[in-house]
Amino acid sequence: MHAEPGTSRGAGDQDVIVAARNLSKTYRDFWGRSKKVALKPLDLEIRRGEIFGLLGPNGSGKTTTMKLLLGLIFPTSGEALVFGKDATDVSKNERIGYLPEETYLYKFLDAEETLDFYGRLFDMPPEERKRRADALITMVGLSRDKKRQLKEYSKGMTRRIGIAQALINDPELVLLDEPTSGLDPIGTREMKDLIIDLKKRGKTVIMSSHLLADVEDVCDRIAVLHQGELKELGRVEDLLRVTDVTQIRARGLPAAAVDELRAVLQRHGAADIEIGNPTTTLEELFLEVVRDTEARPGRRARQADRNG
Amino acid sequence: MVLEEEIPKFTAWIGPALVSWLFVAGLVAVFAAALAWLVQSALYGPLAAGDRVYRGILGTLADLAGMSPRRIWALARLAVQESLRRNVLVVLGLFAVIVLFAGWFLDPASVNPGKLYLGFILSATNLLVCLVVLVLSVFSLPADIKAKAIQTVTTKPVRTGEIVLGRMLGFALVGTVLLALMGAVGWAFVVRSVRHEHELLAADVLEMKAEDGSITGLEGRTNLARGHRHRVELGPDGTGRTDTVQGHRHAVRAVETVAGRAYEVGPPEGLLEARKPLRGTLRFLDRQGKPSTKGISVGAEWSYRQYIEGGSLAAAIWTFDGVTEREFPDGLPLEMIVRVFRTYKGEIEKGIAGSVRVRNPSTGLQSDPIYFTAKEFTIDSLLIPRQLAATTTDGGTRQVDLFGDIVTDGRVEVVLQCLEPAQYYGVAQADFYLRRGSGSFVANYAKSCLGIWFSMLIVTALGVMFSTFLAGPVALLAALSVVLVGQFREFIQRLFESQVTGDSKIVPGGGPIESLYRIVTQTSITLDLDPNPAVTAMKALDTVLLAPMRLGAAIFPSLSALGTSDFLAGGFDIPWDLLGAHAMETLGYLVAFFVVGAVCLKAREVAA
Repeated sequence: MHAEPGTSRGAGDQDVIVAARNLSKTYRDFWGRSKKVALKPLDLEIRRGEIFGLLGPNGSGKTTTMKLLLGLIFPTSGEALVFGKDATDVSKNERIGYLPEETYLYKFLDAEETLDFYGRLFDMPPEERKRRADALITMVGLSRDKKRQLKEYSKGMTRRIGIAQALINDPELVLLDEPTSGLDPIGTREMKDLIIDLKKRGKTVIMSSHLLADVEDVCDRIAVLHQGELKELGRVEDLLRVTDVTQIRARGLPAAAVDELRAVLQRHGAADIEIGNPTTTLEELFLEVVRDTEARPGRRARQADRNG
Repeated sequence: MVLEEEIPKFTAWIGPALVSWLFVAGLVAVFAAALAWLVQSALYGPLAAGDRVYRGILGTLADLAGMSPRRIWALARLAVQESLRRNVLVVLGLFAVIVLFAGWFLDPASVNPGKLYLGFILSATNLLVCLVVLVLSVFSLPADIKAKAIQTVTTKPVRTGEIVLGRMLGFALVGTVLLALMGAVGWAFVVRSVRHEHELLAADVLEMKAEDGSITGLEGRTNLARGHRHRVELGPDGTGRTDTVQGHRHAVRAVETVAGRAYEVGPPEGLLEARKPLRGTLRFLDRQGKPSTKGISVGAEWSYRQYIEGGSLAAAIWTFDGVTEREFPDGLPLEMIVRVFRTYKGEIEKGIAGSVRVRNPSTGLQSDPIYFTAKEFTIDSLLIPRQLAATTTDGGTRQVDLFGDIVTDGRVEVVLQCLEPAQYYGVAQADFYLRRGSGSFVANYAKSCLGIWFSMLIVTALGVMFSTFLAGPVALLAALSVVLVGQFREFIQRLFESQVTGDSKIVPGGGPIESLYRIVTQTSITLDLDPNPAVTAMKALDTVLLAPMRLGAAIFPSLSALGTSDFLAGGFDIPWDLLGAHAMETLGYLVAFFVVGAVCLKAREVAA
């Protein structure tokens, strides 16, 4: 049974920000016949201050889950509670920020007008709207382009104004649907830094993504969905830890020590021994190149020429 | 001007009407909740359905209570910005083109050019404004839902009522600005179009002399301007007025110059006026002079006007109340619209003679007849003076005072008779009135624009309401259907009555299927179809089809009924009581459309 809208439920644990109980969604046709099961019964709790990732391939139910939590669609069964209130209760939105998968904003507005509009929707007084809008435009690096209509923005810029509108009310809970989708590596890194910064400021973040590296980099806990069903749920390091493999990392080890180490491992019966130099990620390499180029313009290009 | 029903006092009906509206609104709400429960029961079972409906009602009430003016204004501003982005102001250019070329098609020599120009400009304004707001309002929300921009709005603490009201307000603002601009341009167009000047040359004026050679007066004709000229009858001193042509006349005065006498013709009078009438109630006497509830019908035609026979005792008697000496110190300025039905042509240029008397309703004392000649299609003016002659019982004549002897307790009767045998006068209750004075034409024009504004508000609300649950083109069709059904309200009601009673005389031709059959088989609508099972089935199907149309006709608004251009074009001040009634009717529909829109949007999955 559902309680009245606006009443607090799940008050037993004040740290539970979001709760899904037996939450499911089936899309039906005009005649009420079941057309597609988008989400099979889901039980989930998300706590204050954590970054929670919804992970899964396209069509796995990530966005459906997010829309159910936002009250954009209604559950077929079960319930979704946000801050103890039914997800369809709009008053919960006072404390929520949402960045959709595509940034669906009004293209005929400029950045300032956009943030002013969304600020008004939070019933903010003019001075506060102005202050928040200025701060967010600076934060997302759109100060020089704030007077341009959004239709002139690149995808990255649109994404940045999207995140600004999601934060206009300084929300306690931020829902980000594919936040790094369409961003270049720098934008992706900035977005991930922002997510981590939000956590540091005590915010709760729920993000959905099919980009595994992004989820791994920032999320505390993840839920893996596939074909509308929850397959895995837990802390990232717990889920990724390979308990029967031991990893040793050291800097400045001489070759003789490596041989000695290998012998010791063999003596103790270790199998599948691998000793070598680790590789960095392509993302790290790219960011290093960009940082270096910005610090000393042209140097890398000349080095590349020499190597070539 | 035709006024088929009396305009009731605003204060007299508003109370009961409000109670009635609330009762109907309550009934509709209960019906809607029951329907929602039935649909939900089919999907989720009766208990869960009850829970969902209960939560829906509570949620809707909570939403309505939590609406914020700032959010509504933000959404209204967005609607205005969206309209501007869609180049809505282009419609002003279209209107300008219509006005620029209207002069080619509107005949300045028509019977009443003021009426023609006003009717045209108000119709064009009404059509354009309503069409623009309809298109804007039906496509806006579906476009937002399709582009998913709505998701960034509904995930803010925005109530569905705010989305609906914000859009209604925004598009209404756009419509209001368009209406104000078009109204101002239209007003300038009408005033410029009807303004004209005549010349009266001294050579065209002839002296009228008595047998003794003294000058009794002057007569002549003005020059031709805007397709007409006036006959002029002046006093010996050269002052007077022209006759009434195309609904207006001019003052004329003689001016002595070094070159001799010249005549100045003043601006048109009575063309763009806002007469304030004091209307009375009408009863009839038949040809034997006996009281009768109605006059004679002169054929199977519109029964608005009843006819009295000339050269008989038949009379039309108006009773006026609230007639005071303070308001009419110079006498009773009677204005009359008298239609003439001729049983023989007679002298067609000459009007039909008639008489008017005033009578004391208590004592029966009446003045001697004041004679006049009724002309078709014009408003005849007659000042009933303070001092009147009355025939005494002994056949003598004595002077009576209008207010001292005739008017009693503010009440007076005016008796109209037609004097020419075998000719008839046709009159309706609204055709005789005492002129209380004139209001401002500009203010009256603005009042008429207010009628268009009411229509525009209803169309906007209707469009937004349908857009909450239908796709843009479907919402457009639905809104147009509602407007059309409302427009043909009376016809649909009579058609349904004709269908269920089987009386084909009410509306010949039958319902939609029967009409189609008659078109295909080229069967006249006056012929009864031979009864057979197919015809019976066809008529039964028509009844089924007409039933929802009949229901719709009773519920949907009639935009034409909100129009007051007849008053304006007819030269009558638009009564505030009528505007008040229209304002309340509009408000009633706006509230209903808003609530339906808010509930439908709330029940909709905007991201599905």
